Amino acid sequence: MTILEGRNLRKTYRLSRTNSVEALRGVDVTIDSGEMVAIMGPSGSGKSTLMHVLGLLHQPDTNHGAPPELAFAGRGMTDLADNERTRIRATEMGFVFQAFNLVPTLTAVENVALAAEYAGTARSAARSAALDALGLVGLAERANHRPAELSGGEQQRVAVARALVNRPKLVIGDEPTGNLDSARSADVLNLLRGLNREMGHTFLIVTHDAEVGAACDRIIGMRDGRVVSDGKTARTAPQ
Amino acid sequence: MRLLRNLARRRLRTGLTITGITIGIWALVVFSSMANKVDALVSGGSDYYAGKIVVSDGGFGGLGGQPMRLDQLDDVRAIDGADVVMPAVTMIASEIQGVSFGPPDQVFGAPAGADEGRETYVPQVATGRSLTVEDEGDDVTVLGSSIAQKRGVAVGDTISLQDHTFEVVGILEPTLSTPDVTIALPFSTAQVLVHEDLPSLVRDQVEPTEIVSQFVVFPAPGADHDAVADAIEARFPDVTALTGEGFDQSVGSSVALFNSIIVGIGLVSLIVGGLSVINTMAMSVAERTREIGIKRAIGARRRRIIRELMVEAGVIGAIGGVLGVALGALVVVLGNEAGRSSGTVLFELTAGTAAFAFIFSTLLGTVAGIVPAWSAARLDPVAALRYE
Repeated sequence: MTILEGRNLRKTYRLSRTNSVEALRGVDVTIDSGEMVAIMGPSGSGKSTLMHVLGLLHQPDTNHGAPPELAFAGRGMTDLADNERTRIRATEMGFVFQAFNLVPTLTAVENVALAAEYAGTARSAARSAALDALGLVGLAERANHRPAELSGGEQQRVAVARALVNRPKLVIGDEPTGNLDSARSADVLNLLRGLNREMGHTFLIVTHDAEVGAACDRIIGMRDGRVVSDGKTARTAPQ
Repeated sequence: MRLLRNLARRRLRTGLTITGITIGIWALVVFSSMANKVDALVSGGSDYYAGKIVVSDGGFGGLGGQPMRLDQLDDVRAIDGADVVMPAVTMIASEIQGVSFGPPDQVFGAPAGADEGRETYVPQVATGRSLTVEDEGDDVTVLGSSIAQKRGVAVGDTISLQDHTFEVVGILEPTLSTPDVTIALPFSTAQVLVHEDLPSLVRDQVEPTEIVSQFVVFPAPGADHDAVADAIEARFPDVTALTGEGFDQSVGSSVALFNSIIVGIGLVSLIVGGLSVINTMAMSVAERTREIGIKRAIGARRRRIIRELMVEAGVIGAIGGVLGVALGALVVVLGNEAGRSSGTVLFELTAGTAAFAFIFSTLLGTVAGIVPAWSAARLDPVAALRYE
């Protein structure tokens, strides 16, 4: 079942009156529920922009070429107002960023609970859900530590717990292992892979890391704002 | 707790901002308390002058000049529109005068019952009794609350004035106005004191029983007070006849100006404090751009971001408000206690003033937070996430 589908996605960033960058030049992409998909490509290929558009952080351009189509869980996203896109991000999507991006003044459990509160969960229930999510990533005993008291790998696990706390339909990762050493990177990757395999979470991961790509079911290759390849990895390809 | 942790991130900056608000609220509380005191004084004067016309000789009472005479009473009573006329004597009580804010301590005497029940401004007796007709000629007095406190006397004690000793038979309830600083004497007794206080050249030309320094005229029902006052001044060119409206006009505008100035000083202090809050919150937003981007990315709506930051700014204002009101109240209490012995009670801090200052401070902080909060909520989450 398709969870996310984009057609003719374009995005141009205007840098100045005379200078602009065409980051997406008509991208078609489909993500099925339960998949773990990597978007890979060199710097400037448009993979981050594609992630921002698919994650409803930016709207695709509508002012040139054929109109874009973007459907999430069967619902059109291109005409939604900011508040509604924000609500969907809160309730149906989860995000894991390269730089962990935890709120420094909040403890691990508070950081995770924050996402649940933004999704409309009452504070006490949000805390309970946050503790469950931290347990899922193996950090229950570190729940009351602040980010500065956690290692990079632990911080990223907290970020994963935050992404999962609302049981989202899609988790989007932006270089989730990019700031970690190889041991911790493998640790986080195994965690994501396990959550995908054992719990059926759908992951869309932007990465430079070939190991991360290889751990996914499918790799979408990008260059110059276009999809140049889309194929299953050795892990899932028919032998 | 989360909110306080955010405020504690930059303790020095937050502390300085709260200090700025505290000083502003302190100034507002202290100056407003001063304005309250002035208002109470004026309000008391206004109440006293309401419904009557006070005829006085202007230059009398320590500044020289010729006093009016009691035999003019019938002439005043004959003025068209004058219904009841009560003679009175007043003088500044120089012996117990100190540096004072408000009216000077004064001696007042009028024949008991001479108002024929027309006087509406009658301060209540706290202890003891009022003066009666039977007291005429006796050395007894009823004291205003401030004078009693200043002299440390109670009913049954005595006070000295111009080589006379008076038994205190009553003490009035505080009014925050002129009666608080009044030594009320029987009319004839007061006449003697006033006579003794006259310059010798004048004193030799007048008997104590002839002396009057005021005629308090109660106009007939329906009479035009201004017309009666004009008629009195036309009949007696050397006197001034002040109506209730005349008092309100002459004093009210001056007091309003005075109050505007002192409250304005407090408000200017607060505006500076408000700008300080805006600056603090703007810096806080700039420092937390990335954090705001995270929150927006994971689902915080714009209005939630605005609410979080405005509440934070409001708490800064509220803390400054509490401290400012507390500090202001301390200054008011200490100032009044220090001045009470000399009659210099400068401040009147009301619950309304304290509540207004606190609410105003909280609102000021909250409103000052609007612009930074709004700009934070408008941040593009992707750009904010990239912010270093």
